[in-house]
Amino acid sequence: MDKDFAARRRRDLIIAAVLAAIAALTPLFVKDVVVQNIMILTLMYAGLSQSWNILSGYCGQISLGHALYFGLGAYTTELLFTKFGVLPWFGMLAGGAVSALIAMGLGYPFFRLRGHYFVIATIVIAEIGLLLFHNWEWAGAAMGITIPIRGDSWLKFQFLRTKLPYFYFALALCCLAWFVTWWLENSKWGFWWRAVKDNPEAAESLGVDVFNSKMGAAAVSAFLVAVGGSFYAQFVSYIDPESVMGFQFSLLMALPAVLGGIGTLWGPVLGAAILIPLTELTRFKFGGSGRGVDLIVYGTLIVLISLALPRGLLSLFSRPKKTGAAR
Amino acid sequence: MGLLYGLIAVGLALIFGLMDVTNFAHGEFLMIAMYLSFFLFAFFAIDPLLSAPLVAAALFVFGAVIYLLLVRFAMRAKANAGMVQIFTTFGLAIVMRGLAQYFFTPDYRSIPQSWLGGKTISIAGIFLPEPQLVGALVSILAFVGLYFFIHRTDFGRAIEATREDPGAVALVGIDKNRVFAFGWGLGAALVGLAGAIMAVFFYIYPDVGASFALIAYVTVALGGFGSVFGAFAGGIIVGLVEAVTALVLPPSLKSVGIYAVYLLVVFIRPRGLFGSI
Amino acid sequence: MTISRRDVLLGATATAALVPLAARAQTSEVVIGVIYPFSGGSAQQGVDAQKAYETALEVINKDTDFDLPLAKGEGLPGLGGAKVRLVFADHQADPQKGRAEAERLITQEKVSAIIGTYQSAVAVTVSQICERYQIPFVSADNSSPSLHRRGLKYYFRAAPHDEMYSAAMFDFFDAMKKKGTKIETLSLFHEDTIFGTDSGNAQAKIAGERGYKIVTDIKYRANSPSLSAEVQQLKTANADVLMPSSYTTDGILLVKTMAELGYKPNAIVAQDAGFSEKALYDAVGDKLEGVISRGTFSLDLAQKRPMVGKINEMFKARSGKDFNDLTSRQFMGLIILADAISRAKSTDGEKIRDALAATDIPGEQTIMPWKRVKFDEAGQNNDADPVLLQYVGGKFVTIFPPQAAIAEAIWPMK
Repeated sequence: MDKDFAARRRRDLIIAAVLAAIAALTPLFVKDVVVQNIMILTLMYAGLSQSWNILSGYCGQISLGHALYFGLGAYTTELLFTKFGVLPWFGMLAGGAVSALIAMGLGYPFFRLRGHYFVIATIVIAEIGLLLFHNWEWAGAAMGITIPIRGDSWLKFQFLRTKLPYFYFALALCCLAWFVTWWLENSKWGFWWRAVKDNPEAAESLGVDVFNSKMGAAAVSAFLVAVGGSFYAQFVSYIDPESVMGFQFSLLMALPAVLGGIGTLWGPVLGAAILIPLTELTRFKFGGSGRGVDLIVYGTLIVLISLALPRGLLSLFSRPKKTGAAR
Repeated sequence: MGLLYGLIAVGLALIFGLMDVTNFAHGEFLMIAMYLSFFLFAFFAIDPLLSAPLVAAALFVFGAVIYLLLVRFAMRAKANAGMVQIFTTFGLAIVMRGLAQYFFTPDYRSIPQSWLGGKTISIAGIFLPEPQLVGALVSILAFVGLYFFIHRTDFGRAIEATREDPGAVALVGIDKNRVFAFGWGLGAALVGLAGAIMAVFFYIYPDVGASFALIAYVTVALGGFGSVFGAFAGGIIVGLVEAVTALVLPPSLKSVGIYAVYLLVVFIRPRGLFGSI
Repeated sequence: MTISRRDVLLGATATAALVPLAARAQTSEVVIGVIYPFSGGSAQQGVDAQKAYETALEVINKDTDFDLPLAKGEGLPGLGGAKVRLVFADHQADPQKGRAEAERLITQEKVSAIIGTYQSAVAVTVSQICERYQIPFVSADNSSPSLHRRGLKYYFRAAPHDEMYSAAMFDFFDAMKKKGTKIETLSLFHEDTIFGTDSGNAQAKIAGERGYKIVTDIKYRANSPSLSAEVQQLKTANADVLMPSSYTTDGILLVKTMAELGYKPNAIVAQDAGFSEKALYDAVGDKLEGVISRGTFSLDLAQKRPMVGKINEMFKARSGKDFNDLTSRQFMGLIILADAISRAKSTDGEKIRDALAATDIPGEQTIMPWKRVKFDEAGQNNDADPVLLQYVGGKFVTIFPPQAAIAEAIWPMK
């Protein structure tokens, strides 16, 4: 089992490296900006979902309020940039740090809650964040922040026509989130979380410091999502509360992981790779009709996949082996 | 208003709390109920108040069918049952919105004239709109009825027992699916009632459920899962907190008050006010 | 006509595929992108907009006898009678999706210009993309004043923005005061998205400058489940004029709640949006006798300009509704854009931009009560005079400014 596990981890790492390399080369062949746009969004959501998966999948604390961290990342970066001239790269780190701190601050009372109570608390806290930003005049309130565009610049991380820098950043984010997950899987925390999921009381009595590891998961997860938020803000170059902190982001972060396989290393990537292009294509195809057909198609697919494959699409690939290793 | 939140929430509490199934399409159930009342009014000139039982009956069937067609399977999922339920019902919500837009068009509709619409009783300078008064009355009746139903009838106990230990219940010869289908139907019927009354004073369009859904979840959780009385009390508290917050803070922040109270309550009592699970 | 629409399309696609970019001026069709919310909470506006654009398309592509640019003859004369084709895209009220759709329309559908978007937040990102690709963006119905102040070269708005609208309201108050009506205190009531915030700010600013007292300034959450607490505050303040800036949903709820709580203001002067929607008057019109809304369009213009009535009939045949403030702006926006493309004699973005910048259409050749259409350096048409309309006996009558008015204002409202 242990040997198996080590071999599987090595194999995962190699697959990831190959996939990343292939992904890195695609822009050589794909010149169409629309396809590039879809690829960027896919990678971004894969990264976000991967980060969400750390707290909600591995650690078992299902959060539907990650939009808060996404929005905080976006807002911290752009407020620092537009008001104080701090370069987005530093803003990104600052946003991550702010989110991680807030996640830990919230974790303290939140982790006492169980099940639906926890889920609703996370929804509610993100909603409070959204409302506060909506009413915060200095941060632009409903007007949002328009990022001034002064031409291509790596320093300011903005590019007028080329999408390649965004593409590579999204790829890097996705890889980073994957790698952190990969690394955590085999860490002390990873073992604790598996123990907690199997039997919370037993883990506690064994003296495992579950609480601290959960705080750690929340902080890491929030940090990565906030970096994603900063990226999104630079990419779209305009933010307003609804478009970076809305509830739909919390769902969009969870959906790929759930569809692909929650609490798995590959689930979020697989889920995002299918879900995001699908969302975009149904909109292109049916969106102009004004009759809601895109919603019907999209919703039906979600229902079907979650019903047919409760473990996510990844379960199609897993061999009928003991699930302990497959997870 | 609080009592209406209560009524919407009691329906959800039945599904969400008593049966421990997440229903993210609750707001859309409300939407369907409002459309039903609207069409009954528009085509047959039946006043929403009269059609309320009809709407409730239709929603009962709808809820039960949804359970049998979808939720039954979502609950059967061995892995990640919670997530499967969330996303099945979430997907359902999206489909329902899409269908509503497809068939009913996205036009805003509302019932311009009805027995109650726009009528107000004024007592000592306090204005009490009649639709809300009737809504409050119906909620209280529905709540009392439901309370007795759950605590005084075999069927009510069966629902609770089924949630707690489906295996044991099966041994005594109760069909879990029948019990839960009935529970879903009942939950949906209550939302149907709420929808019929709200159709009198609210506008109707495919996305109307969204504004109420979150408040309903918070209400149920505030009162505590597994408690019908909790959902009802939660509704009243939410209504009060909303009114008070709007006086203290800018009105655009009034929901913050509701959310803050929820957080405060669960920090002190992690199972809500009257929760049992 | 023997050539069917499909033949034209097929021909055009074939040509577009064979002919390189520079030679596109010869094409028999011009593609324009139309970006609206076709699903979600404001889908209705998108669907109505679609009908308005299709009406404009009919006027442009078919031979009609109106005194509008491009009405006579088929297609665009400047491009040898080339037909205009519209491509509709759904932005779902999300700035990111609007941005992606704009990019898709430009790069894949090869649109020559884009028109949209209803939500101002989406207009921000769509216009940025257009700027990057040097494709003109016509902001048909966005009224946020911040939009044209971003130094964009490819941004154009023929219609007034909220500051112009609000100024018109206060001009009207000033005029009423001169006649002896008491207007001292105002209640502002606006929603919390860009539209409401901008409008509320503009009104507060002008009120301060002209010495009106704002007794309550309520910002509320859009699509609230209840507005009782808010209306209670309005009632307590009881200002001379209530000035709501609300979309349809909140507008309906506001009026219903006001009736329930027994609040009857002396006058309501609304910032358009919901208060120009048929749905709102279908729902609560009986409670709104005498409400005043700003607008850029008025059907009673048909008395002076018969073509307005005829075009309205064309639109009504498609949508079952009369033109309102939004749909009329959308219609006019496309006409103005198509006229510029025809004058540019090219589908090249930069040439169209220059042609748009040189636009000078007299007011008589529009369906609007405007002086004329001429853009300033920021792409704003400052000669688009807003009007104030009063809802009397089930329809709107123009009451201000005097040169467009056909009736005196009824004050206080019933």
